[in-house]
Amino acid sequence: MKAKLELWVGLKVIDLVTQTAWMTFTEKLNYEGILRGLRRYSYFGIEVEGEEFEGTVEEIDRAIQLDSAFTNQNKHFYRLLAAGTDALAGQDGRHGDDLSLSVLLASDSSSLSSRGTLAIERDYPAAGRGERNGRLFSFDCLIRPSLRDRELPYMERLNGRLDGAKVTDIVAGEVLRITVEGADIEEAANIVDGMVVTRSRREGLLMNPHYQRYEVIASKELS
Amino acid sequence: MKRNFSRKVAVIQFPGVNCEYETARAIRTVGLEVGLFRWNEDPAVLDDAVAIVLPGGFSYQDRIRAGVVAAKDRVMDKVSELAAAGMPVLGICNGAQVLVESGFVPGLQWESVELALAPNIMEDRSGYYCRWVYSRLEETRTAWTGSFSEGAVIPIPIAHAEGRFVTENEKVLKAMKENGQIVLRYCDSTGVVDGSFPANPNGSMDNIAAACNREGNVVAMMPHPERATWLRQVPENLPDEWGRRRRKGAGNIDLLEGEGPGRKFFTSLLERLKQGGVL
Repeated sequence: MKAKLELWVGLKVIDLVTQTAWMTFTEKLNYEGILRGLRRYSYFGIEVEGEEFEGTVEEIDRAIQLDSAFTNQNKHFYRLLAAGTDALAGQDGRHGDDLSLSVLLASDSSSLSSRGTLAIERDYPAAGRGERNGRLFSFDCLIRPSLRDRELPYMERLNGRLDGAKVTDIVAGEVLRITVEGADIEEAANIVDGMVVTRSRREGLLMNPHYQRYEVIASKELS
Repeated sequence: MKRNFSRKVAVIQFPGVNCEYETARAIRTVGLEVGLFRWNEDPAVLDDAVAIVLPGGFSYQDRIRAGVVAAKDRVMDKVSELAAAGMPVLGICNGAQVLVESGFVPGLQWESVELALAPNIMEDRSGYYCRWVYSRLEETRTAWTGSFSEGAVIPIPIAHAEGRFVTENEKVLKAMKENGQIVLRYCDSTGVVDGSFPANPNGSMDNIAAACNREGNVVAMMPHPERATWLRQVPENLPDEWGRRRRKGAGNIDLLEGEGPGRKFFTSLLERLKQGGVL
């Protein structure tokens, strides 16, 4: 059996990096009134092989809880999601109100199942705060190192903690969920691209294209 | 009251830097005056300065990416203006990261970010690396290297996690070579530029340890010259002439307070300012 899992990790405490990015965007890069929300998650896309799905996910879940390279219970909440399957759907009760909170992913949540020990989303900066002139769009931007060998050690770490299951591939990066105001989604996407890629001293902040890359893994209009 | 930077080298204090005082002391040692400039002061006072140094440390706690938040600060508008007009500017370690993220180095298209100082790549280890290494002086034409002899082998400390010069654009590296913008290259103790660890301690492309803009007045260097300004700072076990001098100086305060291998970066500035009639 092969499965694709996504691990999203956020901070229980105020995220000072995100606050600094917010202030840099609004106070130094002229995005005041355009940037409406900013959140940051560590992201791991995990391809795993195992005998049966339930046990494999259980193993991965245990491994990421034990290894602080992935989660630290003192400061993180996390969600482990299985894409394209409802195999975890019957387990909601075991995870309390986790699934009752707004799902972290901006992509279609109907095809996803999730599990996690805690899901408190700090609401700073709050998306959509203040008067609005245009429509709101949210983009999940995955920023990764350009060099693959920067991600592979995470695979080795996980496999070192697994018995039956085996991780066969991993994507490790950071997701910045950026909410901006724009006339339409094309304009909003251009705004986000200008915010993410540091092309000059006066343009871009979140990644340096000389050693990082990014892709928008989900986008949607907010109501 | 307006602060006076007349005839002074301005050392910029961003929140989180931690090498400003030792840098100031190293500059004073060669006979230059220094003023510390807080990042949120009125940048107009820098017009009177004779040079600007961005010291090492962790500006803005390295949040987002080392140097990038400071690069967006208002004071960097002024540094950009003065650097473009020819004022000598040196960025050391985190200061180098600020200059690269500002697009002043290599500055082929001014303020365009053409390089990165990316996380180190090292054999069998990762993260922060703090060690004395060797670098070879490649360019004496800059405002900060004129007192060295071409090809000088300089033992000097590095201390960083993100010091790997890299560009995704091959034309940038080619232009830097053609323009003589590679100032220092990591090498072994004999001066041989070896791309493997530990001679190249962070995987930097073409072993680059320091680079400059086209004109040579702006230099971004990852090694710390202020930590190699006095002989007493040199490790006794260095297998070269500097190590021998250091061992010989043990117990002799006069010798130990003498010149270290990195002091010439600052004497070079002094000479350049005198030659230019600035001092």
